[in-house]
Amino acid sequence: MKRLWIVLVMAVVTVTAAWSQAKKPTIMVVPSDAFCLRKGYTTSVNLNGEKKFFPDYKTAFQKDADMRTLVSAMADFMARNEFPIQSCEQQIQKIEEESAEMLAMTGKYTGGEIEETPSEKLSRVASADILLNLDYQVERIGPKKRVSFNLQAIDAYTSKIISGNTGVGSEANASLTTLLEEAVLSFKDNFLDGLQRYFDDMFINGREITVVLYRYNTCDIDFETEMPYNDQEAELSDIIEAWFSDNTVSGRFTLEARTPNRLKFTQVRIPMMGRNLNGKEVGMDARTFIRPLVRMLRRDPYNLEVGLVQKGLGEVWLTLGDL
Amino acid sequence: MRRVIICIIVSLLIFPTTLLGGNKDRRKSYENWENYEIVTIKVGTEGTKFVKVWGYGRTVDKAVMQAKKNAIHACLFRGLPGSTSAMATPAICSGANAFAENEDYFINFFSAGGPYLAYCNMTTDGIPAGQDNLKVKGGYKVGIYVQILYDNLKAKMQADGLVKKLSSGF
Repeated sequence: MKRLWIVLVMAVVTVTAAWSQAKKPTIMVVPSDAFCLRKGYTTSVNLNGEKKFFPDYKTAFQKDADMRTLVSAMADFMARNEFPIQSCEQQIQKIEEESAEMLAMTGKYTGGEIEETPSEKLSRVASADILLNLDYQVERIGPKKRVSFNLQAIDAYTSKIISGNTGVGSEANASLTTLLEEAVLSFKDNFLDGLQRYFDDMFINGREITVVLYRYNTCDIDFETEMPYNDQEAELSDIIEAWFSDNTVSGRFTLEARTPNRLKFTQVRIPMMGRNLNGKEVGMDARTFIRPLVRMLRRDPYNLEVGLVQKGLGEVWLTLGDL
Repeated sequence: MRRVIICIIVSLLIFPTTLLGGNKDRRKSYENWENYEIVTIKVGTEGTKFVKVWGYGRTVDKAVMQAKKNAIHACLFRGLPGSTSAMATPAICSGANAFAENEDYFINFFSAGGPYLAYCNMTTDGIPAGQDNLKVKGGYKVGIYVQILYDNLKAKMQADGLVKKLSSGF
């Protein structure tokens, strides 16, 4: 019986440990905009009569074998560090396949089609929490070659550079693949150190997220409307700001924009762990963090219609007046 | 006149003491962990670092052993400097008091014939010669080329709980 109890306790501990893991950010390597423009891997869009160029990652991966070499080398060392990176190429392909399948799918009994709003369509793009922007150039010095590279790890939500690595490889008469692999080995440890510092900071000071609140024009009130709050009247923006003060790690956040129609909170530090609806400890993301605020605004005395749009682990949009 | 004589006697007494003190300081600095030179020569093959490191010792053998210890010490606590052909490498134990906090562990790690040797491949065959083998007061200053198994060393520190894994906490 005693043994059974020990096994039971151990099982509970294991399950709790499995639940209480912080949410792992996803990482993806993408060619930098400068690289795509230089090599011509772009698509152009006519915006109000002006031709705009956007990077075409799919073409970059299909045509540039050297970029694939770099990504493979990086994927290899990241996997060894138990942090596999997402393949941008595969993600793009998957999204295309998903779109095709969604168009072809119909309900067996009703013949209904899969519903997707324009906003949902837009959100179905290849994205990650941390983007690794990679750029390289091959320079010729007489018979020798040299690779100069630039790698930036960027937090997709805050646009902050987590780790930046630039450098020039050695001059050699070796194949380009060898030089590129040498470049990756050269910046690898510095890059990993930068990531480690970012994660350490996250565990001490909380994950940094962005929260934007918008108001639909159908909404009767705006963020400057006075509402009841703790036996007094206060502007809705002040009430929301007070909520952020109470719920962020050490009250750390910045109210970057404050207008009657829009509030933008940046550098919002949220705890890594939180509780789900069943009270279990789970890794926290922007959505889990903001849910209590949404619930508060939907209830008495505010009774507002509030929509919630999640944009990855670290960004969330709230809409006032409609879902 | 009397004053001048006193001054001369005092300075004669002080001068050799200062000179001796200087020698002592220099000798101390040879044995100091913080006093060694290391240069990254090239980007090593997968998971390794190729460096040139110097060590001091009473004999050439002792200096070579010290140089090996220095190479591993640099990877653990100091970091490897960058060069024209390789980027700088950060220290594996980045905390300012990493050595002091785990002193017993590291004293054992760096003991004669200790575990540190498993992460250090010496690539200089035989006794270093020429500029890499200098006779200095009280011993030798020796420079050797070393291939450090950096990734293995980092994995060992992670396995022993001294360094966090990149994925820990997630």
